[in-house]
Amino acid sequence: MKSEQNFVRLVFLLGISLLTISLPSPSLSGEPPDLEERVRSIAQELRCVVCQNLSVADSPSELAKQMRDVVREQLRQGKSPDEIKAYFVSKYGDWVLLAPPRRGFSLVVWVLPFVAAAAGLVLVVVALRRWVRRKKSSPPPQIEPELLARVHREAANMGPELLDPEAEGPRAQLLRDQARFYADIKELDFDYQAGKLSAADYTELRQELEAQAASVLRDLELTPPPAAAPDAQSEPQELEPEATRKKRSARGWRIAAGAIFLVLFGLTLGVFLSQSLRPRLSEQDTITGGFLTGTGEAKGTQSLLAQGRGSFEREEWPQAIEAFKGVLAVDPSHPEAHSYMGLILARAGHPDGALMAFDRALATNPNFPLALWGKGMLLYRVKEDFSGAKETLQKLLVQMPPGTERTEIEKALAELADRSGKQKSATKKAEAGPTTPHGQRIQGIISVAPKLQAKLDSQTALFIIARAGGGPAGPPLAVKKIDRPAFPVSYSLGPEDVMMAGTAFAGEVHISARLDKDGNPMTREAGNLAGEFRNNPVTVGSQKVDIVLDRVM
Amino acid sequence: MPWRRVLVTLAVILPLIGLLAFGFSRDPRFISSPLIGRQAPPFALTLFDGKRISLEELRGKVVFLNFWASWCPPCRAEARDLEASWQRFKDQDIVFLGVDIQDTEAAARDFLKEFNISYPNGRDASGKIAIDYGVWGIPETFFIDPTGKITYKHVGSLGTQLIGAKVAEAKQGIITAKEGKGDYQSIR
Repeated sequence: MKSEQNFVRLVFLLGISLLTISLPSPSLSGEPPDLEERVRSIAQELRCVVCQNLSVADSPSELAKQMRDVVREQLRQGKSPDEIKAYFVSKYGDWVLLAPPRRGFSLVVWVLPFVAAAAGLVLVVVALRRWVRRKKSSPPPQIEPELLARVHREAANMGPELLDPEAEGPRAQLLRDQARFYADIKELDFDYQAGKLSAADYTELRQELEAQAASVLRDLELTPPPAAAPDAQSEPQELEPEATRKKRSARGWRIAAGAIFLVLFGLTLGVFLSQSLRPRLSEQDTITGGFLTGTGEAKGTQSLLAQGRGSFEREEWPQAIEAFKGVLAVDPSHPEAHSYMGLILARAGHPDGALMAFDRALATNPNFPLALWGKGMLLYRVKEDFSGAKETLQKLLVQMPPGTERTEIEKALAELADRSGKQKSATKKAEAGPTTPHGQRIQGIISVAPKLQAKLDSQTALFIIARAGGGPAGPPLAVKKIDRPAFPVSYSLGPEDVMMAGTAFAGEVHISARLDKDGNPMTREAGNLAGEFRNNPVTVGSQKVDIVLDRVM
Repeated sequence: MPWRRVLVTLAVILPLIGLLAFGFSRDPRFISSPLIGRQAPPFALTLFDGKRISLEELRGKVVFLNFWASWCPPCRAEARDLEASWQRFKDQDIVFLGVDIQDTEAAARDFLKEFNISYPNGRDASGKIAIDYGVWGIPETFFIDPTGKITYKHVGSLGTQLIGAKVAEAKQGIITAKEGKGDYQSIR
């Protein structure tokens, strides 16, 4: 049984090896055997335009395959590799070459590494030479033999000398240095006697230490004891140690400044990178999201958005609202944040607020799918504005590729088509709405004070706010928004503008208007124009409630 | 002395950081086309209705050449605007021509039917026309003036307003050297 299996395997292997021998490998069509080789060698120098850092030879993409076909065809036509490469450069630019050409600006790419390496080499040589020179010049200039003899004597005999570690001044410092060198010499002696050091090392180290100790002794001789108060006579003697101290402290400062610079540099880089870099969100995105060029989304909003989406999915409404508000604070026209705000408002039973939010999202991006979906479903399910829902959802359907989401939209649209009969009666009702209850409306004209005309901005929205309780601090009962108003503008506030569904629009209200620069009623910017009705409060049902915008916020 | 050293260090480091930042802030896929202002590469295309059309025979007319695929969402987004613009311009000396790439014939036909597209469209199965025009992201649109020169290129979906403006420019042979950019999808 086993031998039979082995035999089958052997035959199989033989078959394969025979096949590979008999067929001239990749080209099966009777082409000269080296054609594929030549195609590959040219394709290896071309960059795949839809991949990242892959050559046309290595890329599995469809376009790369088509480009290889073009290379093959042009080779068959007898074109040279340079001509073929020039063809691709004429279509895609120098970008298509994996090795940039050695001319023009691209030359920098070739030259810069060598320049950098040479500069580094020069730097190392200079540093080394300076280092060696300092080492050579470091032996103390001229140490008097009597000082050396004194060091020799004192180091051997020095007991534990009592030094005041708190004492200040150059002399105390020198005394401490002296004691330290003597202790070092003693330790060296001890190590040598214990056999830890070779004779040569010992002699060299001891000479070095003795020289240093001797130079301290000399400094000490030049520095007067603290008892002798520094007077004019001793001043010049004090000069040299003072200078060395200054030098030392200057070096300390330099090191401290360097350290601070490094820490700051590290912090800045860390903050910059963590704030600005993130995975690319879409094909046309960059990893900084245009942080530096200002083309993409503002920094920091991505993590907030992700946080908001997470909270939204977990149904943690307050957290989600907080996150999306944060996004809107950075970018007041962010369509996704507005869309989510709309979805939250819709869930909380504020269809008007939700609709406003969706419209704000669509004002920035008229095709934003989430806003179209939210608005369409809200119009359909809550507002029963079937024609509006149909229009919105159709706009969404157009851009949805086939998939479950598309099926969902198609289902909703089919349901809407079924309801088209009922829709007619609904629109009739809606048309009747604003006209009949004249007693439930407030109407008037809003104008801008002549002196403020210059402050008008075309990209604004006008909010007319009716506050309950008749006072300027009451909660807003109804709000109307007019986009890009052309002053003077007439308005009419009615039950359809009430913020909380189910609240009656009645009684005394305080009427004010505000021209908002970013169209977001939640934020107030300096420079917004505002005004109130002169004879507030007003009873619902009043007419000629005219407002002049006469204040700058 | 230390200040000079700090300045020299900054003078070396800052340009490098700037270069890095510039690189990070660019769309790494965006390829600027060398074709704008040059003669449009000639081609012949078999249309979905079986006819054959070549660029040569359209000399004297403004050509709106649009590369698309049925699987590309931005192409779907612009489809209605393209048809609307065609309805506006079809009686003038302006030709709209759609080139379907990297697609199956059935999916492409469904797409044309879904958006009621009436201007001529054909399939570039081998991708040769697309490569000839340096296409890398779709929808990609070339505006060609009556003398056959490319006056403008747009990567990403177009709206009726921009189409109107660029067609008018192409009529007069006005060249916009920098290509426009909208929502696009890299081809496969």
